[in-house]
Amino acid sequence: MATAKMHFQADRDRRLGPPGRRGALRLLQAERSEEIFPLLLEEIVALGYPRASVLDVNFESGGVGPKAALNWPPQQLARFSTALWVAENPLIGILDAKRPAVLPRTIFYHRPLYLHPILFSHRNLCWEAGRPRTGSCLAVENFHRQKRLRREDQICPTCEMRAYAALVVVELPRHNVEASLARLGNLIKLANGCLSRLFKVEHYYNRMRDMEITIAQMGTVMQSMADPVILTDTEHRVIMQNKAAEHFFKVPDEMTEGLVRAVELNNLLFSAALSSMLSSGADGHRDLTLVDTVEGEEMLFEAVSAPTYGPDGAQIGTVTVMRDVTGLRRADQELHANYDKLREAEETVRQERDRLNLIVENVGDPIVVCDRESHMVLTDPLAQELFGGSLEAERNGAQARNQAQLAACIGAFGSSEAERETAPLWLYNPIVKLEIEYECRSGKIFDEHGHVAYTVSVLRDLSALRRVEQLKLERRMLEIEKFAATGRLAATIAHEVNNPMEAIKNAIYLLAGAIPESAMPVYSILKSETERVARVVRQMLGLYRNTEQVKPINVNTIVEDTLLLLNRQLQRASVRVHTDLRPLPDAVIAADQIRQVLSNLVINAKDAMPEGGKLWIRTRHIPRHRDLRGWVRILIADTGIGIEPEMLRAMFEPFVTNKGEKGTGLGLWIVKGIIENHAGKLAVRSRVGQGTVFRVDLPVAKP
Amino acid sequence: MSDDGKFRILVVDDEASVLTTYRLILERQGYNVMACHTWREAMSAIEGQDFDAVLCDYSLEERHTGCEVIHAARKRDATLPAALITGYANKETADEAALYNIGMMFKPIEIEEFLDTTARMLRRNHELSQQTGQEDGAGPQSAVPGLSRTGRSDRRER
Repeated sequence: MATAKMHFQADRDRRLGPPGRRGALRLLQAERSEEIFPLLLEEIVALGYPRASVLDVNFESGGVGPKAALNWPPQQLARFSTALWVAENPLIGILDAKRPAVLPRTIFYHRPLYLHPILFSHRNLCWEAGRPRTGSCLAVENFHRQKRLRREDQICPTCEMRAYAALVVVELPRHNVEASLARLGNLIKLANGCLSRLFKVEHYYNRMRDMEITIAQMGTVMQSMADPVILTDTEHRVIMQNKAAEHFFKVPDEMTEGLVRAVELNNLLFSAALSSMLSSGADGHRDLTLVDTVEGEEMLFEAVSAPTYGPDGAQIGTVTVMRDVTGLRRADQELHANYDKLREAEETVRQERDRLNLIVENVGDPIVVCDRESHMVLTDPLAQELFGGSLEAERNGAQARNQAQLAACIGAFGSSEAERETAPLWLYNPIVKLEIEYECRSGKIFDEHGHVAYTVSVLRDLSALRRVEQLKLERRMLEIEKFAATGRLAATIAHEVNNPMEAIKNAIYLLAGAIPESAMPVYSILKSETERVARVVRQMLGLYRNTEQVKPINVNTIVEDTLLLLNRQLQRASVRVHTDLRPLPDAVIAADQIRQVLSNLVINAKDAMPEGGKLWIRTRHIPRHRDLRGWVRILIADTGIGIEPEMLRAMFEPFVTNKGEKGTGLGLWIVKGIIENHAGKLAVRSRVGQGTVFRVDLPVAKP
Repeated sequence: MSDDGKFRILVVDDEASVLTTYRLILERQGYNVMACHTWREAMSAIEGQDFDAVLCDYSLEERHTGCEVIHAARKRDATLPAALITGYANKETADEAALYNIGMMFKPIEIEEFLDTTARMLRRNHELSQQTGQEDGAGPQSAVPGLSRTGRSDRRER
């Protein structure tokens, strides 16, 4: 009910002493706060008071002093100057009391004074304070005189407006009238009302100007930001955007269909991103790909949105700042790619290492890595069996000897020029408890200066290989022996056949003159077929010799022996022999069989040269095969009639001959059998009309 | 040479049929042939008479060889031309024959070669014996290696 009472009070005040119409109008016409005090003083004087003044309170300094005066000499006014903290001063007391008072003659002044404090006050809350419902307004508080006048209180907590306070001082005439004082009070109250309103208006005006400046500054700040900034309302309509944002969201002056489409697309994407951001939470952020309308490139943005709220706390829109993260993202992707690459490389290295370890573990041969002083630095378990550990205490006598052998071998290799080397090494094997042959294959690892840093050696146990070689040799000798046995059988039969056939042949010869003409064809058959049997027998006899023995022998001596035996035949056939026999290692062969090979081939050559010709015999050592010490090669070449290509294929078959009645067809078949038994190789080249070359390769086996 | 001017040839072979055919072939050529079936016969024949040539099978009965026969015959006449006829052709035999200037023929023998060789052996020795005491180097046409260096003495002068 206080409110109703207050209204009532106000009405009664107006009724009690309305100021003069003219004075009120003049005050109401004032447009600026400065005009109020002079007008008020004039109207006070017009009411019949001799002089009047306004003492203004400076809240910053706390000083109280004359602000305006009428008919009052300044030197007299000076005595009224005081300060808020001078509590004993009656002026301050009146100000604090916030009530008009009449001061009789005092030390201040020789006449009674009417003192009326005025203070910034309103009956109603200002707009600003009324907006939040809990707001408090200094003017309203002052109106209700709730507080003592303290300078720290005289700043509005809502609008930060600083209040004014003043003391109107009026000198009273000698015959003061009570009613007249009421009119004076009403006039001053009216003036204060006008002043408060104007003061408020001016305050808002100032604030508006400040805000405009702030808005302009903020706008400049926003425009000068390189990142797009967009202000949208709750419907996602764009309220404001800076230049950077216009680049993406505003249709430019030069319209092309592509640009318009790009802008539309950007708007659409932005709108969608905004919706999803707002639905996901208060300060969501999203990645957003937009098309640069000028460059046409796609750019990646990180959009950060924050809602904006109105004074009533309701959301009125959204501010979105977009950060160009294209470069950042690219760098990030590159970083990721590099990281992935690094991990891949690491993985590859790891796999390589594992694979290498697996290989080393599964080689099955001892592996030793030595440093440049030939000290072992790395060994696999097999090598450890042979050499023991790298410390002296970890080896036994045999291992120490083995290590000395290895060190000698590696040392020689290390100081040689070769990058890799294969050397034989005899080491004591603790498992078979024997010294066995190893093949030590070594390679060098160089440091960055090109010096040998390490040597890697792989040892191969050759004993198995040697066993196989031995077996091969034994099998070959067995084959030779078998062939010889066959030859012995053939020769035995041939020998048995030989004498009866010799008799038959001779008998046929003796009958030559005694055959009647009618029996001559039969006699011819008898004669020719007997001669054929004789040739076969002669060939078969050649298969067997009494001194059949496989032993190391120099092939050159066999060549010389054969030529010596055949010399007469060759001379008779006008065949000139050229020999070129180079030094040869001994070959393990059955000499008589090889003699027969040579004899057959030389006779063939002779038969191929019915008009005579040249015969070359060459021998060479071909050091080719590692395990078998190379080959002995025999070349037999003639300038004869040559061999037809069809014949070349068939001539090693038995009973194939191109010598007609004179041949047995066994010679080359026997040659081939003997060469094969010796694990040798036989090759022939021939050109019809020019000659033939036979090549015989015999392995040089270890005895 | 025999009384009728024919060359006398001793032929030894343990195969009767072969021996007979050799004898017949040589006789048809006009030689005077003494054919012996065994080593024993041959040795006694050598003791009894001289020959102009000896053709002898290598392997004879009881491990005797043609070489023994030839050596025995050459005890009487050191320059006697001689040849071995054999089925085998092993190196030792060939070496031995070469060492003692003994010719070699291999069975089966081409009859023309058999006759040629025999004739050459005889002719050569005969010609040499005509030029008494003259040294003769190894001629290109020497058919039998052993006969190229014949001794100086000629048994017919005895």
